[in-house]
Amino acid sequence: MTDQPLNAIERMATVKQERLHARLKQRYNRERRFKAYGVASISAGLVFLAILLVTIFSQGIPAFQSTFVKLDITYDPEALYIDDASDPDQLRYADFDNAVRQSLLQRFPDVDGRKETRALMSLISTAAGYEVRDRLIANPDLLGQTETLWLMADDDLDLVMNGTIDRNLPEEERRVSDLELTWIDNFIANDEIDRRFNTTFFTRGDSRDPETAGVWGAVVGSFYTLVVTLALSFPIGVAAAIYLEEFAPKNRLTDIIEVNINNLAAVPSIVFGLLGLAVFINFFGLPRSAPVVGGLVLTLMTLPTIIISARASIKAVPPSIRDAAMGLGASKMQVTLHHVLPLAMPGMLTGTIIGMAQALGETAPLLMIGMVAFIVDIPQGFTDAATVLPVQVYIWSDSPERAFIAKTSAAIMVLLGFLALMNLLAVLLRRKFERRW
Amino acid sequence: MDKSHFDRHTSAQYNAELEEARKNLMQMGGLVEQQVEDALRALMEMDSALAQRVIDTDQTVNDMELEIDEECTRILALRHPAASDLRFVIAVTKAVNDLERMGDEASKVAKHTLELADTGSGPQGYVELRHIGEKVRQMVSQSLDSFARLNTDSALAVLQQDQAVDLEYGTAIRTLVTTMIEDPRTITRALNVMWSLRSLERIGDHARNVAESVIYLVKGQDVRHIKLDEVEAQIRKK
Amino acid sequence: MTLTHQYAKQKAETVTVTKTEPDQFDIGDWTQTVGDPLLDDPRLSARNMDVFYADNQAIHNVSLDIGKNEVISMIGPSGCGKSTFLRTLNRMNDSIDICRVTGEVILDGDNIYSKSMDVVELRAKVGMVFQKPNPFPKSIYDNVAYGPRIHGLVSRRTELDEVVETALRKAGLWDEAKDRLDKPATGLSGGQQQRLCIARTIAVSPEVILMDEPCSALDPIATARIEELIAELSKNYTIAIVTHSMQQAARVSQRTAYFHLGKLIEVGDTDKIFTSPDHKLTEDYITGRFG
Repeated sequence: MTDQPLNAIERMATVKQERLHARLKQRYNRERRFKAYGVASISAGLVFLAILLVTIFSQGIPAFQSTFVKLDITYDPEALYIDDASDPDQLRYADFDNAVRQSLLQRFPDVDGRKETRALMSLISTAAGYEVRDRLIANPDLLGQTETLWLMADDDLDLVMNGTIDRNLPEEERRVSDLELTWIDNFIANDEIDRRFNTTFFTRGDSRDPETAGVWGAVVGSFYTLVVTLALSFPIGVAAAIYLEEFAPKNRLTDIIEVNINNLAAVPSIVFGLLGLAVFINFFGLPRSAPVVGGLVLTLMTLPTIIISARASIKAVPPSIRDAAMGLGASKMQVTLHHVLPLAMPGMLTGTIIGMAQALGETAPLLMIGMVAFIVDIPQGFTDAATVLPVQVYIWSDSPERAFIAKTSAAIMVLLGFLALMNLLAVLLRRKFERRW
Repeated sequence: MDKSHFDRHTSAQYNAELEEARKNLMQMGGLVEQQVEDALRALMEMDSALAQRVIDTDQTVNDMELEIDEECTRILALRHPAASDLRFVIAVTKAVNDLERMGDEASKVAKHTLELADTGSGPQGYVELRHIGEKVRQMVSQSLDSFARLNTDSALAVLQQDQAVDLEYGTAIRTLVTTMIEDPRTITRALNVMWSLRSLERIGDHARNVAESVIYLVKGQDVRHIKLDEVEAQIRKK
Repeated sequence: MTLTHQYAKQKAETVTVTKTEPDQFDIGDWTQTVGDPLLDDPRLSARNMDVFYADNQAIHNVSLDIGKNEVISMIGPSGCGKSTFLRTLNRMNDSIDICRVTGEVILDGDNIYSKSMDVVELRAKVGMVFQKPNPFPKSIYDNVAYGPRIHGLVSRRTELDEVVETALRKAGLWDEAKDRLDKPATGLSGGQQQRLCIARTIAVSPEVILMDEPCSALDPIATARIEELIAELSKNYTIAIVTHSMQQAARVSQRTAYFHLGKLIEVGDTDKIFTSPDHKLTEDYITGRFG
């Protein structure tokens, strides 16, 4: 050993081992605690997510099934009040409800009196009449024949069948009377009642009757709205991003524009709804509730998101590629179009899809432009009045009828399904394009 | 250019390697200088013991040649010397070769001394021997000095000396031939003297080579096989 | 130790040191490039170039000629401006906003910094190979074909095929690439990618090729192949190469230019620069006394 005094590090080295060991336990403990916090947070999140999903699914699953009742329908021209079978108007506007009524009365001969008859009819959905009509129009030869059909039951019957209405309650507290219950039990005993997959949920628009209310109108409305949003926001957003990143001079004005775009991303969405109402509907006179207007409003909303993510993707393109292209004599436009854009496209696409997924779930701005209206028909074009999925959920959740509770949850499930699909698409696209490097 | 030119490399190790080669060269030079001086004195004083010591020293000189050559090869391989460092290594390699030859020639003179001592000494030709020998000894000393000081003027002086020595050598040979023709009995001893003279003249040539290496090292110009006045002009130019 | 040894040792250690010559060309008094920066019939001629990055001057009054079909290498310590100078020769500095260039660069009688000079056309005449190989994320064929395509140099597909093949042959990559022309260029090794970048540059038939440390990202064998390629290419093209490796400059170039703190200190034949340079700074850099 030298007889020179030890420097600071050498002095430390003499006590290094004990001190290190002493501290080591503490450090590992701290790490374990930290990990535990992380796990706890994630678990809490997962628990809440699970509660949410379980609640929605348990409430919504019943809506995917409808109750059907087997009845023998006689296409009696007299009951239908059809004089001339060859007249299409007469066929269309015949009294099909009566045919159904007759069939029921035949089934339960004991029923008499208007009150009981009405109660009996209330077991069958109002849609049944239209079903019978459609059958006859499709096959006019059925006139005078008898056919066994499975007709859709009323929502109350459905609620009894799926157990929502408790049989054990006293009659005053029940929606369904004892008499109606006996008829129901009769059907059950004869195997003339069945629960089947509810296709009308996916084929029909909104309705006052819960059993015939479907989500298709809202789906089509959402689709048209998103198409408009995509068609407008993607090109504009990408072009704006390219201009700002590649061509805009670096001066005060560009800085101001940047700041404003970033701020727009944080504006509450309902403000865009108000803007849409004032400008697109009042000033330009576009039709209310139309996907065009909804699309325009959502475009304004998602543009900042798309511009920001597109700019980030463009910035991520390595300058070495630009240098190489410029070194070969490519002009600025050629460098951007041939090299920067293809490489930035994956990022731009994922940003766009995420923006679209956000737009899909937006409710407030669309409420402002009138999409909260009660729309029954499936929209045929961009200018037809329509509603969108989240608004449909809102409308149904507001409705007093018990059956709509299940429908609301079912609609939420459809909406979540769409969102999951879109996010999956984003993930797949990103993975596909990123491999090119 | 000065001695401190050879340090200041970023790599201290490299500095040390160059310095080591330089030091060894100077050491070898000192040895050889001593050899030449001793060989002359032994010849003049017919000192057989001294002559023998000169011959013995040659082994060390040869060893040093090998050692320095190896050092230089190492520097070339590992350091990729450029510019002045490259010229330095090349100059050292050449000088070492010349020094070793000088040592060999000095040993030859010593061997002749031993032979002459056997046959008995005589005054013929000794004046020339002493004269040329002294000049050559000076040349060796000055060439090594100019290497140590990196002084081209001093090196130039050695080149000029060499010219003079060559002339004197010619004269001395002619005189000895005349003596041999006049008195055939002196032939054996005269021959020995002639060979000694030739060795001395060779030593002078090698000293001139060392001086040329110095000029190459300092000025970056190869002045071998050029007339003396041209050499002078080239040195003055830069 | 014998007396002779002692004497010798003493002799070695007692030599006194005397300065024989004063330091000429102190950088503070520097006014002119030493050696031969100007030529009689140059391909490319830079005159009085000054380059500023905002307020910072990176190149000070550099004038340099590059001869026809010669390889000139530019060396110097980090930050001495050699890459900046190289980039002024094909106006790559234009893309840097804060960079300002004054002076002239004459190519074929025209000043490339005049307003009437089309940068796109210029870069088709003066190509560049970069430090890190940067092939486009396209196929090998498309990489080489890109230049001729955008400049409209070929009219038929067969012509383009021939141009691509010739360029790849000249770059020494044809044998390795001919069976995978439509595979991504990023699948090649580093050395192959750099040769591809060279092929890409050759495909537009430039007059001058600028290389900015082309081998610094490559292993020694790939480096040796590229250097061999440079020697081959110099028969038809003028090449200016910036390099950090002095050995490389010594191996590939006929003339060498030494830059120091933005000034061109010395230009001369490579063998002269590396055996006996004139300026002290050049000498100090080459022998490893700094930088």
